[in-house]
Amino acid sequence: MPAPPPPSIAARLARAVLGWALAWGLAVGLAVWLAASYEVDELLDEALRSSAEFMTALAAEHDEAVALPVGTVAVEHFAWQLVAADGRVLRRSQRAPEQAWHATPRTGFANVAGWRVYGLLAGGDGRVLYAAQTRAERNEARAEVALGAVLAALTVGLLGQLWLRARVRQELQPLQRLSQRLAAWQAPQGAAAALGAPERAELIPVHAALEDLAARLATRLASEQAFSAHAAHALRTPLAGIDAQLAVAARTAPPELAERLVRVRGAAARLQHVVAALLGLFRSADGTAALQRGPVRLDELVQRLPPFALALQAAPGATLDADADLLAAALLNLLDNAQRHGARTVHLAVGEHGRVLQLRDDGRGIEPARRAALAQALAEERYADTGGLGLMLADRVARAHGGRLRLPEVAAGFGADLDLGPR
Amino acid sequence: MRLLLLEDDPLLGEGLRDWLTAEGHVVDWCRSLAETLAMAGEPFDALLVDWQLPDGSGLDWLKGRRSRGDRTPALMLTARDRLTQRIEGLDAGADDYLVKPFAPEELAARLRAVARRSGGGADPRWHWQDVALDLRARSATLSGARVELTAREWAVLEALVLRAGRIVPKAELEKLVLGFESELASNALEVHVSALRRKLGRELIETVRGLGYRVDKP
Repeated sequence: MPAPPPPSIAARLARAVLGWALAWGLAVGLAVWLAASYEVDELLDEALRSSAEFMTALAAEHDEAVALPVGTVAVEHFAWQLVAADGRVLRRSQRAPEQAWHATPRTGFANVAGWRVYGLLAGGDGRVLYAAQTRAERNEARAEVALGAVLAALTVGLLGQLWLRARVRQELQPLQRLSQRLAAWQAPQGAAAALGAPERAELIPVHAALEDLAARLATRLASEQAFSAHAAHALRTPLAGIDAQLAVAARTAPPELAERLVRVRGAAARLQHVVAALLGLFRSADGTAALQRGPVRLDELVQRLPPFALALQAAPGATLDADADLLAAALLNLLDNAQRHGARTVHLAVGEHGRVLQLRDDGRGIEPARRAALAQALAEERYADTGGLGLMLADRVARAHGGRLRLPEVAAGFGADLDLGPR
Repeated sequence: MRLLLLEDDPLLGEGLRDWLTAEGHVVDWCRSLAETLAMAGEPFDALLVDWQLPDGSGLDWLKGRRSRGDRTPALMLTARDRLTQRIEGLDAGADDYLVKPFAPEELAARLRAVARRSGGGADPRWHWQDVALDLRARSATLSGARVELTAREWAVLEALVLRAGRIVPKAELEKLVLGFESELASNALEVHVSALRRKLGRELIETVRGLGYRVDKP
């Protein structure tokens, strides 16, 4: 099961900012609530007191001739009562309760049954004028202020989150460009030139580390190229010498010895193919040599191979798109395996539009469990479990082409599909 | 053909020398660039050059010959198989490039092809009047009848055919046929030429008095 992708820096930062925006909005709202509570109470208490004083002064100035107006708005939030010294309600506004807010007249502020009440003496006979306001109105005022603050803070936070997301994406673009340049970098090209100058201060150590890595890689590559060149020379020249000597010896030897020398020469030719394939794979693996893909006719490929004690039946006219040398080496090893496993006839065909070389033999085959284990080992490139060079080399050749070696179930004998990948 | 084989590996050098000699060629084998100094001015039909030699680069040696106007066909025999190296070898003046390991049969075939191309034709068959030669199969016919030639006779005829139309001095022909180290009786070449005329017709090989021999272009 593939590992989940790592989290995105931009997404993580955006989530963090959103969290902070929510917390900030709540904190601001709470602070505003507390501040507004005190200020609103103070402001409205002042208004109550002023109203009471105004109405008291008005009543005193006009004595009893002035009738205080009786409120007519049923939903008003302010109310008043004029209460006698014995507690009877002499007059009241529409919203005010019929009973006095205080059984015994008293002055000053008090909270009574959902009202904020301010009492003021209204003359020398002990009458008291109460001016009151509903507490719900106060709470509503507090809530509106706090809600406004919260909404404002959240709006700022959300806008900040969107801005930061875009900004982070913009700031991460140099990193994205660095990744693209790194992906396009081809050894042994200098990394400094390929990566360009660092676009952000934070990327300077990344560039330095990559350039250092590239320098070490270039050194390693040069060493491996030198090794492969020396190995190629050390292996190819003696092989050519062996073949030339065997050719001369077979030509001049008596018939019984000549036949033996021809067989030895055939084995030497197989060795040459294997060595050539290994050298080719080594170079394609280190990126110093590209595959030389091209159309390869199956029947011509078979003709190139050294003689086998096998009947090879190649589909006439079938063509593959492959590196001919590597393909010959892979096929040679598969045929060698077939011969060693008792095959007498090998059928070769091309499938999947020239992409797959299909090999079927009439040998002893292998047990289904063993076939499955081999197929699994090849799929996972565990070549220690593939039992020899043949399958490993064929798989490496297939993988060098972008495909892989598969071992399909067949009714009899042994089957191998050399998938050479997309063209 | 007279061949200069420049190869330092004793196993390969000896094998190629013996194979090519058995094919009817005359092979002078040098194991180093220093040994080629003794061959300066010698005529060869083809050069077989290894790139990496103990005392220098065979490729540079070939470049030097080319810069001096030498157009002798040359094959690079080398373990260097990279595309860039093949291109470098061919650009340096090699007419063909053979990557080791190779079968001596393939080398012989490429040698014939290179020699034919340098002679102006890619066809291994050569016709002149009633005489027909197959340079690849090393066979000769006169009026359709097969004519048996000895290895020396074939070597003389091939050397002249590859230079058809021009006069080949006797001394050059002796070297081409017998090689640098071989000794030849003073009239041995005339004996082979005479045998060829007897077998293939007197008009085939023209003697240019005081200069050498010539066969006409087909």
